Amino acid sequence: MKRREAGGLAGAAEGHTASRQAAAGGRPRGTARGHEALAGYLFISPWIVGFLVFVAGTMVYSLVISFSHYNLATGDLRPAGTANYEQLLADPRVATSLGNTLFYAVLAVPVEICFALMLALLLHANRRGTGFFRTVYYLPRMTPLVATASMFLLLLNGNTGAINQALRLVGIEGPQWLVDPTWVKPSIVLMTLWAVSGTMVIFLAALQTVPRELYEVAELDGAGPVRKFFSITLPMISGAMFFNVIVLTIAAFQVFDQAYLLFWRDQSNTAPEASLFYAVYLFQQAFRQFDFGFAAAMAWLLFVILLVLTTIQAKIATRHVYYEGAR
Amino acid sequence: MRHNGVTLVAVNLVAVLVAAAGCGSGDNGGGPEGPDFSATPAGTLRAWGFNSTDDVGRARLAHAQGLLGGVTIEIDQTGFDAQKFTTRIASGNLPDVVQMDRQYVATYAAQRLILPMDRCYSAKNVDPKARFYPAVIGDVTYENQVWAVPQFFQPPTILINKKLTGAAGVADAEFDTSNPTALLGAIAKLYKESGGVPATLGFHPVATGQTNLWMLGLGGRLIDEKGAPTLDDPANVYPLETLKRILDAQGGFAKVKSFGDSFDVFGQSNQFVTDKVAAEVNFQWYVNVLAPYKDRLELSAVPFKGKDGKPVAIAAGATAFVIPAGAKNPSAACAWALALTSQDNWMAAAEARAATVQQRNSIFTGLFTGSPDADRAIREKYVKPSGNAGFDQVIATYYDVVGAGRSFGASPAGQQIQQELINAITATSLGSKSAQQALADAQAAAKRAYDTVVRG
Repeated sequence: MKRREAGGLAGAAEGHTASRQAAAGGRPRGTARGHEALAGYLFISPWIVGFLVFVAGTMVYSLVISFSHYNLATGDLRPAGTANYEQLLADPRVATSLGNTLFYAVLAVPVEICFALMLALLLHANRRGTGFFRTVYYLPRMTPLVATASMFLLLLNGNTGAINQALRLVGIEGPQWLVDPTWVKPSIVLMTLWAVSGTMVIFLAALQTVPRELYEVAELDGAGPVRKFFSITLPMISGAMFFNVIVLTIAAFQVFDQAYLLFWRDQSNTAPEASLFYAVYLFQQAFRQFDFGFAAAMAWLLFVILLVLTTIQAKIATRHVYYEGAR
Repeated sequence: MRHNGVTLVAVNLVAVLVAAAGCGSGDNGGGPEGPDFSATPAGTLRAWGFNSTDDVGRARLAHAQGLLGGVTIEIDQTGFDAQKFTTRIASGNLPDVVQMDRQYVATYAAQRLILPMDRCYSAKNVDPKARFYPAVIGDVTYENQVWAVPQFFQPPTILINKKLTGAAGVADAEFDTSNPTALLGAIAKLYKESGGVPATLGFHPVATGQTNLWMLGLGGRLIDEKGAPTLDDPANVYPLETLKRILDAQGGFAKVKSFGDSFDVFGQSNQFVTDKVAAEVNFQWYVNVLAPYKDRLELSAVPFKGKDGKPVAIAAGATAFVIPAGAKNPSAACAWALALTSQDNWMAAAEARAATVQQRNSIFTGLFTGSPDADRAIREKYVKPSGNAGFDQVIATYYDVVGAGRSFGASPAGQQIQQELINAITATSLGSKSAQQALADAQAAAKRAYDTVVRG
């Protein structure tokens, strides 16, 4: 106790001295701040160096490439003007892949959000065994995607897959998920749902921060579960909702692994047009056709699209997302 | 993981380019005339893609090592990967020799990322046209130059499940791909459904796995002499429509494909043991898979016949050795690739396989090397009556058709052409487009890909 008091007095004395020096226009306070800033920059310098070299630098270089023709054999980088960007408009596969990706995003994001929120609400409501179920639900996230894809190739088989067999039990003839072009994208959404637990955990954390008093007061006022969900839960977790929507939208536009593993792992893809996602086409342009300039232009188009979408989402969020202490 | 998809692609893309900018890769390892393939092989040879885990691979590797006594051979046995290869080229961290699918060869040749091999062959006094089947060497010949040392030629035939065809009274001769009416008649007698999905296919055409066989065998034309796509050639309509008729007679493309995907192809519940197919187009290697079940199977085989009624064989998934431009030890790479495809090497492999077969009390089904002389010598020395007449007839049929092999041809856009062709087959088979429209769309897309690659 005495030591704390002593420390407090010493601190006060220090602060007093510093104030006097600052009032007198002396340098020590500025120097201290400078040292503090320098230390801060030193601490974050690994990240800054990493960012400059691996993110900013490569982004600038990819922008240069997008205005060039690049020959891998000779290493030549010839100026191409806007040819690669013009090709984005001329190549119908760009529109096809973008359309497929947009369709997937519009389908996947709401479904993932609803499913993850539903799981989080269930876990939040059932206190007994929450830890166990949280672990169980999180396991798919830890499963290698290749193993997940192998499992879904069996589950989604149109004739013998477990999903269609279950549907047959209730009199529904399921679709040919992996063959019929109409069902290719929903099949990838199903596979995505398998690993929705990352989103679920964020919702679960948000749900645990909602004050119970709000529900108690609402119950006193006669509010039912639906009213409580829409009037209390949803507004109170809107910050987490906003974060998840942004992250899932960006991820949906970058979908690659699932499509590649389910459909592009070999040359037997029976739905090459329906499963041609933007990132897959970008990969093909770079590493199959060696058209690095065009691939870089595709990457920049995707960057701009995501920038615009995120900006729009952020604008909407300023009106609808509740943050404690600010709106 | 998904979040990182484009990031990974972009980082790889940029890494390739940054490395390339720093290193360049224009050096082909030996000045303007190219490398000296006649130099005595020495030093360290870095190989990638050759898998020596089975008896044949081990024997071949040991034999080649014996011929290249002073060379230290380091092998990366992981499979070929196009992205990894591109990155290694750009960074200058190149292997000396790479085993890849023959379909890739013309693509890399067009980009000058691999070396032409004509001088390698002449330096070692090997005539590629004499060593390999015309179909095999055709796969790796682009712009009148040979770009690789090919290996293997797996011919396809139609394998017949005699247990089912005998019970239904269907003769082997009815599986005649040059006579769709007879074929459809056989299918009608053999096809069975259960719960609206196939239970037994009368004839599994393997539409997307044997694409080239169906197209070229039935008179189609996929690429021209320069390697440009010709998917909209009117001759391609007949194969597509024939395939659709075969598939529609058995529940349609989607159900047949899903049924095929559910097969335990390599297991003891494979489609022949479990009577899921009465007949199926398959490659020679599949007889090895079936051999352990010889006592439970009654098999026979007939050749896949072209529109003219003659046997046709188109290989798929066959491989070749290439030397990347900039390889540090091209003379050893050349010597090693040719050593691995010499007749003596194949005989050593066959001896090892024969020993394995004897040990397992199985059947020697032949080795289909890609070289006519080696195939003949192996057949004469090691392929003996097995005591199972059905399997012996099957093996003999594969040997009968291997000489009827035809090349898909070499195109710098080979993969894209293949992909667009599958697109056309799917669209036609599902009925979403007419064959003509599907082929026209496929041609437009394949031509764009071809133009991009050729433009460089």
